[in-house]
Amino acid sequence: MSDNNEKYPDWKNDFPISQSETTSVTRRQFAKFLCLVSGGLATGSAFVAAKSVLSPDKKIKGAHRVCSITELPVGGTRSFVLEGSTTPYILIHLENGEFKAYEQKCTHLSCAVFYKPGSGKIECPCHNGWFDAMTGEVLQGPPPRPLPRLDVQVKGNDIFVAAAKEEA
Amino acid sequence: MSTFRRAQSQAHPNKTSTLMLAIIVLLILNVTIQIWLLYSGLNNALAHNSGIAFPAFIASLVIFIINCWLLYYLPRSRQ
Repeated sequence: MSDNNEKYPDWKNDFPISQSETTSVTRRQFAKFLCLVSGGLATGSAFVAAKSVLSPDKKIKGAHRVCSITELPVGGTRSFVLEGSTTPYILIHLENGEFKAYEQKCTHLSCAVFYKPGSGKIECPCHNGWFDAMTGEVLQGPPPRPLPRLDVQVKGNDIFVAAAKEEA
Repeated sequence: MSTFRRAQSQAHPNKTSTLMLAIIVLLILNVTIQIWLLYSGLNNALAHNSGIAFPAFIASLVIFIINCWLLYYLPRSRQ
């Protein structure tokens, strides 16, 4: 196409970068890029460490009323958030009469989880993850940890939740 | 005048390539370990097990320093 003897146009002198330099990555550049990625990962680890040391999760203090027993039929669920927090929770009225409360965020990728009435299981529809509604343990699927749990107390006609006691 | 280094480079033209490849393999290996460290640190921090995050960060930082040190040994680009 272009004749070597032909004088380069002015714009080519203004951008003296050949096409091969812009499209090919040398091994040196790749090695430097890997080092940059390594720095990014170290920074990410620093962020995780700083966040876990400097701002540990706030503990839930006291008992919070969610609803009355009559508002929650057997097999029903009710979502709620605690005051001063944006974390969603679900209160479940199991078929055996017990009440259970869990965080409504799947421990895999934080999708909302739902109780499947009659099955005794909590389902995460995003990636087919299943949790035991009695304990919050993972039954199946990609979630790496059990669902965080709240203690449920029934006082008279009202249902209260409080922070789960640490298990030994 | 030819020097020892120049003669060596001419005698073993593949040497630069081997060295470069070895460094890149080491870098990829180190980055893989760092991904694993970040993953386990984050997962444990989310599971209220914050004791893992800080040692994972220290290990990741040490690997990053090693990676920077490895860059020093990259063969010079051909002029």
